[in-house]
Amino acid sequence: MPGRPPIGKPDLERLRVRFIKNDRLAYLGHLEVINTISRSVRRAKMPFSVGNGFAQRMRIQFSQALPVGAASTCEYYDLYLTERVDEGEAFELLRASTPKAMAPTEAHFVKSKLPALEAWLTRSDWDIRLFGRDFDASALGLALEDLKGIGKIDFMRGDKPRSIGLDSTLVSWALEDCEKEGEWDCVHMTLKTRSSNLGALRPAVLLEAAFKTPVLAGAMLDSTRVLRQGQWNEAEDGSLIDPFDPGQLL
Amino acid sequence: MRLARKDRFSELEPLLGKVLHPARYLDHEWGATEEQDGPFHACLIYPDTYEVGQPNLGIAILYNELNRAEGISCERAYLPWVDMSALMRERGVPLLSLESSSPVASFDLVGITLAHELVATNVIETLDLAGIAVRSSDRDEDDAIVVAGGASAWNVEPLAPIFDAVSLGDGEEAIVDIARCVRSCRERGLARAEILRELSRVENVYVPSLYDIVHDETSTRWGYAVPKEGTGVPPVVYKRCIPSLAETDPIPQRMVPYMGIVQDRLAIEVLRGCARGCRFCQAGMTYRPVRERPASQVIDAVCEGLSVTGYDECSLSSLSTTDHSQCEHILRELKMRANQNGVRISIPSQRLDSFGVDMASAVSGGRKGGLTFAPEAGTQRLRDVINKNVTEEDLYRAARNAFENGWKRMKLYYMMGLPTETDEDILAITETARKVLAIGREVCGYRRGKSGVSVSISVAVFVPKCYTPFQWQGQLGRDEVRRRQQLLLQSAQDRDIRISYHDSDSSVLDAALSKMGRAGFEVVMEAWKRGCRFDAWTDQFSYETWLEAGRSVGIDLEEVAAETFDLDARLPWDHTSPGVSKGYLKREWRRAVQGVTTPDCTMTSCVGCGVCPTLGVDNVIAGDRHAR
Repeated sequence: MPGRPPIGKPDLERLRVRFIKNDRLAYLGHLEVINTISRSVRRAKMPFSVGNGFAQRMRIQFSQALPVGAASTCEYYDLYLTERVDEGEAFELLRASTPKAMAPTEAHFVKSKLPALEAWLTRSDWDIRLFGRDFDASALGLALEDLKGIGKIDFMRGDKPRSIGLDSTLVSWALEDCEKEGEWDCVHMTLKTRSSNLGALRPAVLLEAAFKTPVLAGAMLDSTRVLRQGQWNEAEDGSLIDPFDPGQLL
Repeated sequence: MRLARKDRFSELEPLLGKVLHPARYLDHEWGATEEQDGPFHACLIYPDTYEVGQPNLGIAILYNELNRAEGISCERAYLPWVDMSALMRERGVPLLSLESSSPVASFDLVGITLAHELVATNVIETLDLAGIAVRSSDRDEDDAIVVAGGASAWNVEPLAPIFDAVSLGDGEEAIVDIARCVRSCRERGLARAEILRELSRVENVYVPSLYDIVHDETSTRWGYAVPKEGTGVPPVVYKRCIPSLAETDPIPQRMVPYMGIVQDRLAIEVLRGCARGCRFCQAGMTYRPVRERPASQVIDAVCEGLSVTGYDECSLSSLSTTDHSQCEHILRELKMRANQNGVRISIPSQRLDSFGVDMASAVSGGRKGGLTFAPEAGTQRLRDVINKNVTEEDLYRAARNAFENGWKRMKLYYMMGLPTETDEDILAITETARKVLAIGREVCGYRRGKSGVSVSISVAVFVPKCYTPFQWQGQLGRDEVRRRQQLLLQSAQDRDIRISYHDSDSSVLDAALSKMGRAGFEVVMEAWKRGCRFDAWTDQFSYETWLEAGRSVGIDLEEVAAETFDLDARLPWDHTSPGVSKGYLKREWRRAVQGVTTPDCTMTSCVGCGVCPTLGVDNVIAGDRHAR
């Protein structure tokens, strides 16, 4: 994916922070997450760097947008600081000034010349619970196989038609039936996706398309509970590199 | 019927994934009051969406005051957008408060802000969604007491049947008095009618059900309100007025929303009231006297507010910030102490003179977006009629100063349909814009044949408001407004002059709602039944539906908006007063017609508006004001 270059200057310190997004705050959009974190950084009184543009924005870069409604244990941002501060102290200050449902879970200084997170983190693991009627894990599996066979999904984002290829973005999935929740049937899914310069596969797009296949005709998906539980860079040899891999750290 | 107080977020949560902007319904913002132990529970409601209501400074002030009071908890609620309210009705979920997700119908006290006239149907929608009877008279004994307040409560009659009580004027002390009164009445086991009687004894509280509407030869067709026999309520309820702003919390807004809201910044109220005396301006008349917050308090509040919220912008809010006697000192200090790390200080309106430009320059640093001035009228004659005490030379001098300081885009606000307006006044608007543009081009010069200078003109339709010297006037008819809008459009022939104007339809409704008496409630109710809500949202507003609603109850809204009242008539709002005397307003109207201006009492001497002697208050000026 042709991502943006890092926004930091070489003389700035680059603090990488992993944070969660859960409970009610799973319903925040990406812009809302950016604003909330930026204000948390200001409250924490971190010595952040400011860009030279008209708006003089904080130098901060985020990992790929999480869909509205999806929770996560592993979102990231890189914050550029004008001076080196104690890592542990910075982590505590950020934790104390960030809403609990978006609390940081780890923070380390990383090398300044790394690529921007948004483009570099190409692999995601998802844990999904689907609630609805008249479907089960095996039917959903067949629907996904059908989609895989077609190789792409055409969908609408707002009023704009979009298309996403599945060969490169859909890595694998696993499904199991789980206990009914209230009136709803429930299926548990683990999904692995890859983003590339052709786009990123959102779980909601995949599932919506699956429920439109003939296999699931008559089935009804009422709601989903989506959790992103891992983000990595996929190296050329297929190995997965953690954002806090020793090779990334200062 | 009072609903049980319990957390019902689990019923709302499944709907969040199905609606636009779910962040509207989340709560748990940084700085929200989590403890809601009560035992007396109040809920303050802004009857519009979260992003419109959350920045409201009035609600923030009252929220803090109630939560500070012993034994009282206060939460917030906003009107869900149409997608969410449809789902809530479908699934039987009533309107919930944000903090505890309890049904609004479970609260002891419900307060509704009336920020402008076009929220009328939203008030009904709010109560209906909450499951609270819309009419005060239909409520059960143990139902919440529903009170209103806010900037457009001065003619509350078209909504009067809804409210159990209306708080007039500054609310920070009044809302606590009201809550304590209701709590005490409930503890004593008083009946609802007795509670309302007790509320009428709280200073500056109007209880509509204790007044009859009388029609006689002295009234307009809407009649006037008189106390019901034996109630002992005052014939005129005056507003509450806090004597000094310095005694109030300078940082009421400590809550930081997740979603982008319409004014997404810290707001510090630097002064309340304005005595410039613009004759069209209701706020200028109803918020008197002028009370300035001392400079040191403003500066400390900005620094602390930015620190605790993490905002990167602070607005020094008021009706006229650059009139603050210590404005220059405040901005100079803030530039040194707060204007760093990308933090912006903004002032909501510039005075139309070089001082205004200097102040805008002081806060803008190197960043120059657009600069906005409000001449309001095109000719000096009409500016004198409306008492906008600025001259053409003031504007040109300010414009030159602004262009010399690096601004290239200028926005000019005007009104159309002002009393005595002629085509000459309309054409003068574009003439002024042309001269401003010429000054800009002269100062900025040309690069590759372009100056980069532009002037935008924004023209609102004048709406006569109660408690202004123009309150007796009718609004210019819709067709004539459109003709003048076209005249204006055709007169601008330079592509660097851009003209935009307000929708004349919603202005007609605004004028009608501003003029009607209590009988107007039937129109509002009928419009709501026919699907009107969010009337201030262009994409939701249906003029035709409103007109039909009016016709069905025998009221022609266009006729109401255009109606002129006799200067000696008893008006529908005479019994709820901000303290400004009728004699003063009549005098100002006569001076307007003669084109005679009236000075600002904070810069010269008393002009006899009557507010100070009536309310026992005075202007509080922190430094020295003088006409610059």
